[in-house]
Amino acid sequence: MPKIGIMSFAHMHAYSYGACLNALPEAEFVAVWDDKPRRGRAAARQFGATFVSKLEKFLDLDLDGVIICSENVKHREMTTLAAQAGKWVLCEKPLATNVADAHAMIKACEKAKVGLGTAFPCRFAAPLRVARDRIVSGEFGAVYAAACTNNGSNPGGWFAEDMLSGGGATMDHTVHVVDVLRWITGKEFRKVYCEAGNVLHRDTLETDDVGLLQLEMEGGAQVSHVASWSRPKSFPTWGDVTIEFICEKGVLNVDAFNQRVDVYSDAAMKAEWVSWGGNPDLGLVRDFVRAIMEKRPPCATGLDGLRATEVTVAAYESLKSGNVVKIRA
Amino acid sequence: MNLAIIGCGGIGRMHAEMAARCGLKIVACADKDPDAAKALARRYNALATTDADGAIRRPDVDIVLVTTPTPRHAGVVIDAAKAGKHIFCEKPFASTVQQGRTAIAAVKKARVKLFVGHVVRYFHEFETLRAQIQAGKIGEPGYVKMYRGGIYPGGPSSWFRDYAQSGGVTFDCMIHDLDWLRYMFGEPDRIFCQALRRSEPEKLDYSQVTLKMRNGMLALVIGTWAHPAGFQVKVEVCGSAGMLQFDSNISSLSAMKREVKGAGPTMIVPSSAEDVSPYELEWRDFIGWIEGKHEPRVTPEDALRAVEIALAALKSADTGRPVEL
Ligand SMILES: NC(=O)c1ccc[n+]([C@@H]2O[C@H](COP(=O)([O-])OP(=O)(O)OC[C@H]3O[C@@H](n4cnc5c(N)ncnc54)[C@H](O)[C@@H]3O)[C@@H](O)[C@H]2O)c1
Repeated sequence: MPKIGIMSFAHMHAYSYGACLNALPEAEFVAVWDDKPRRGRAAARQFGATFVSKLEKFLDLDLDGVIICSENVKHREMTTLAAQAGKWVLCEKPLATNVADAHAMIKACEKAKVGLGTAFPCRFAAPLRVARDRIVSGEFGAVYAAACTNNGSNPGGWFAEDMLSGGGATMDHTVHVVDVLRWITGKEFRKVYCEAGNVLHRDTLETDDVGLLQLEMEGGAQVSHVASWSRPKSFPTWGDVTIEFICEKGVLNVDAFNQRVDVYSDAAMKAEWVSWGGNPDLGLVRDFVRAIMEKRPPCATGLDGLRATEVTVAAYESLKSGNVVKIRA
Repeated sequence: MNLAIIGCGGIGRMHAEMAARCGLKIVACADKDPDAAKALARRYNALATTDADGAIRRPDVDIVLVTTPTPRHAGVVIDAAKAGKHIFCEKPFASTVQQGRTAIAAVKKARVKLFVGHVVRYFHEFETLRAQIQAGKIGEPGYVKMYRGGIYPGGPSSWFRDYAQSGGVTFDCMIHDLDWLRYMFGEPDRIFCQALRRSEPEKLDYSQVTLKMRNGMLALVIGTWAHPAGFQVKVEVCGSAGMLQFDSNISSLSAMKREVKGAGPTMIVPSSAEDVSPYELEWRDFIGWIEGKHEPRVTPEDALRAVEIALAALKSADTGRPVEL
């Protein structure tokens, strides 16, 4: 049974991954390391794992794999150290905030002969899986266009600090949809144009809070994407992942997390959308554990993380220059 | 006051009813297709003719309604201005900025009134969005998403199916949203557009427009003539302290008819169950202006600017680059 550790609970997804590890009979959640000992100790206690405060000691543990949920800019260092210690790595998205970091992470894992996965749980969301199956089957013919959104609420904290996050909503909310479109169409992104704004949370954020991307894929499909932290505190859920596919033989709409029951509780004094859908994080973590057992690459690899990062980086370049930017010549 | 209608197609028929409700008398119906002219004229006991200029110049005509296909708008507006008539022209005001400028010059010279039907400014749901924003309900708006469209309009030989004439969904349909954005939030600085404009294997258009507004706001406007059926309008306005959403699919009245197979709709206008149609509100505004009661909500300059912005979107789509405005 693979023994897994979590490195850093800076990203809140770590709590979901921790719960998934505990729910999986084929995995053992052994240890936690965190550069914020208070946070790490509390998380370890919550999940019944051991907290190890010294990184070298943590890496000396008999762990098969680690899940890295640090601030974005620290992904490279942690991945490299974990790989050198022979651990398989599942790294929170975005894999990296620049292309050089992503390359280095891939190389480090190749050299150490450990698998590297990027946490793209959307690949395990049933509505997106069904959409993929139907498009791949040819039922809808060629994909001509797609209009996407990944809206969220203001995450605050380090997400809003450029030095730690590498960027704002565009950095945070571009890669999921980029990965989903690559995964569904089997095509790469070629060009991007980006505008971004920071009106919504100007008072509290130094980064962008809305990014509007216009992209072109191999074969010419035109794509728009909204990467935002635009959902207000009063909104009934955290946000969304939606895609409208315009195809040769019809239109297909996915609202990936809209399997919901509407709840009106006087205790909350705001409407709440409670999901009845599956838990994509569980599929993601299970795939990582099985990849270790079967010695195969995880579903979404480091390369997939790199490709998504390339799009985000090009988007920020476009924002700076005001021009369309080619992605990976 | 008496009305001559030039162009008795889908929207011409609808405006005839709105104008009649406002007390105008329809005296002449002109269309290059005599059957279209006759069908409408019969309903209002008006003259049916294929001679548009003759209809415009009738001494008993006070107002000319221009509901021809778009490329003909400016020409009819100029003819009507020269004849000294007030003019209600459908959007898009003109096919080119130059046409629009020439038409406005003719209108100014003749001292007649020109109103262009940017009807979205009169839609109850859009007025409600406006009121909520102005009441400060969502704080400072920072990002707007607008979505409009459905099935490709017009039959197989319709002018809508010729991108050179209609401009596709970007020019014909999204001009509504581009105008409303400017009406609400001021001038755009920069625009970027991808527009599908396919003809094979069938006519399909899908357009994605990004606008950076002068005040720092962002907007994404999506228009579709790529759906197999239906018509939908969606608006989302995100602000520093909240968000507004409207979706025409969430409706207090819905009905579905079994259509005869093999025929597309001839005219698509959004419709809700409401006490007063926004199309009638346009006419009230226009008539009140003619009667000297108030200024209109849409000026000829607004209409020209909407044409300019929509054409900038198409230029961006053609060149693959952002266009500065
Ligand atoms: N505001 C709205 O909601 C809305 C909705 C639909 C159409 N429109 C606009 O209204 C205009 C007309 O659209 P429609 O849907 O009624 O089109 P349509 O094709 O149904 O009608 C156009 C009519 O004009 C006639 N015509 C063509 N050339 C003519 C000419 N030279 N002189 C006289 N008649 C001529 C045609 O025979 C036809 O009957 C377009 O500019 C369109 O963009 C606006």
